[in-house]
Amino acid sequence: MTRLAELSRCFQGVVPCVVVTSDARGVPNVTYVSQVYYLDDEHVALSCQFFNKTRRNLDENPLAFVEVMEPLTLQTWRLRIRFLRSEKSGPLFDKMALRIEAIASHTGMSGVFRLIAADVFHVESFEKNEGFLTVAPADAAEQVSIDGVRSEVRGLQYISERINRAECLDELLDAVLEALDKYFGFEHTMILLPEDNATRLVTMASRGYGESGVGAEVVMGDGLIGTVAREKRLLCISGLEAEMRYGRTIRRESGAVTPEVPLPGLPDAQSALVIPLTICDRLVGVIAAEDRDPIRFGEWHEAYLEIIANQIALGIDRMLETDPEVEAEIRALSTQDSSVRRTVTYYKNDDCVFIDGEYLIRNVPGRILWKLLRDWKRDGRTEFSNRELRLDPGLGLPPIKDNLESRLILLRRRLDEKCPELRLVPTARGRFALRVEGRVELVER
Amino acid sequence: MAPRGLRRCPTDDGVSLFVGTVSTDGVPAGCRGVGAVTNDELKTLTVYVPIATSREVLANIAANKRIALVATYPPDHSTVQVKGRTTGVRLAADAEEALVRARLETFAASLEQIGIPRRVTRAINHWPAFAIDFTIDEIFEQTPGPKAGTPIR
Repeated sequence: MTRLAELSRCFQGVVPCVVVTSDARGVPNVTYVSQVYYLDDEHVALSCQFFNKTRRNLDENPLAFVEVMEPLTLQTWRLRIRFLRSEKSGPLFDKMALRIEAIASHTGMSGVFRLIAADVFHVESFEKNEGFLTVAPADAAEQVSIDGVRSEVRGLQYISERINRAECLDELLDAVLEALDKYFGFEHTMILLPEDNATRLVTMASRGYGESGVGAEVVMGDGLIGTVAREKRLLCISGLEAEMRYGRTIRRESGAVTPEVPLPGLPDAQSALVIPLTICDRLVGVIAAEDRDPIRFGEWHEAYLEIIANQIALGIDRMLETDPEVEAEIRALSTQDSSVRRTVTYYKNDDCVFIDGEYLIRNVPGRILWKLLRDWKRDGRTEFSNRELRLDPGLGLPPIKDNLESRLILLRRRLDEKCPELRLVPTARGRFALRVEGRVELVER
Repeated sequence: MAPRGLRRCPTDDGVSLFVGTVSTDGVPAGCRGVGAVTNDELKTLTVYVPIATSREVLANIAANKRIALVATYPPDHSTVQVKGRTTGVRLAADAEEALVRARLETFAASLEQIGIPRRVTRAINHWPAFAIDFTIDEIFEQTPGPKAGTPIR
């Protein structure tokens, strides 16, 4: 006998579901809903976003008929359900609201497109809609993208080993993304870390995109990533394009004018997994994964992904806190190659640095770069330590939790991409060298 | 022919159709429709439902004539719902098969726009079918959003 849990792909929101209800006079009503939420083998939930006819009918007649569709084969299943209660707070409400808020934020519909209640139903019976398809669908399980032979425990071990082996934050971020790709098959990923004032996140590492998105910013609370960062709860969306279309329809119908938040990364992403990295209630960062497969992430259990996220969060936090002075050979020296000329302009009003008129970086990393270049130009210095940067009041680093390592990584990666003639080369734990190639002119405005 | 001013009509190309009914003891049931036609600007409508999946729907309308039909265009979610009373159910004639097949093909084309291959949609059972004739009492705008449920007629 089939268990409701076996229909998990029908409950991922890839294909809208149909709900039939009736009023007390026996007049039927049909409506499409974007998703039926699986709770357990006897219960499902529907999102109540508008006080509509379905909601009024359930008060008169608690029975409803639902048809859900397996997105890979289009095989449909029929559920007979009975309305039990509306939940307007609590874990179920929060989980369903997060998804809706993230889509609403992305489509510029925050506040309009929101969850009013999570309506909980008892599943009285369900059956396969026999005869719906003319040919029996292939076993959908054979088509899922996750390698089932790899156990979850092995995945946890693998990622923990990679984190523990990393010697600096830079290595750790790359190791995490590589592990997610190699072991979990998450090919398009990025890690964002929060800025000091917690109003935005900055992309520190990315993998699987043609062009690195390092330095790209996301405002806290905006779009999928910003919503996850603000709420500190994991979000997994299957059938992303369908959700976005649904959100855009409501946006169009509401006459909203707030612009849509561009999705970072893949322009044609079909599913997204956004994992907050937290320690207690403190946000350390966010991992965002995308894929063109609409059900890529739906098979992973959220509780398991949260354990993985805890491992990564602890690793990042440990790297941000430690600053041991390990002695090693300083290997970077400044060289002069007259064939290349670069103009570095620092705008002191907004702490922005431009290279040959093109934006490079701003805020604290911008001030750090400007200090390094001035010291190099004035005194010929090429070797620097994290400690001296921490002690420099002009950089405006906070006394504790200064995220200096992450700022240096961001600066290093932006330079690698935009101005390879200027490089920050790690020489030892807590030390680095500025390598300058070609002629560099400094302009302050 | 559809009436003017209606953004979406059950007879449009590419729409997804779903029929809702209720038994006399209040148990709802539904099934997919595979085509619809009107000759009087939606005063009356004929909706085709596959024999293979419509047993409960037909049992319901034999006792309770009330019927609801939703039509939605998957690429943009524009949706309309019509409600009325059944006037007759018959086995669809061979002459109507071409119309039903053509509707399924336009439905497959609209689903293709959202990433579902045509060969998958073509596997939906659509023939033989029953033709349900009904008069339309009410028409509702049902595109998701704050105006969903607004009566049009």
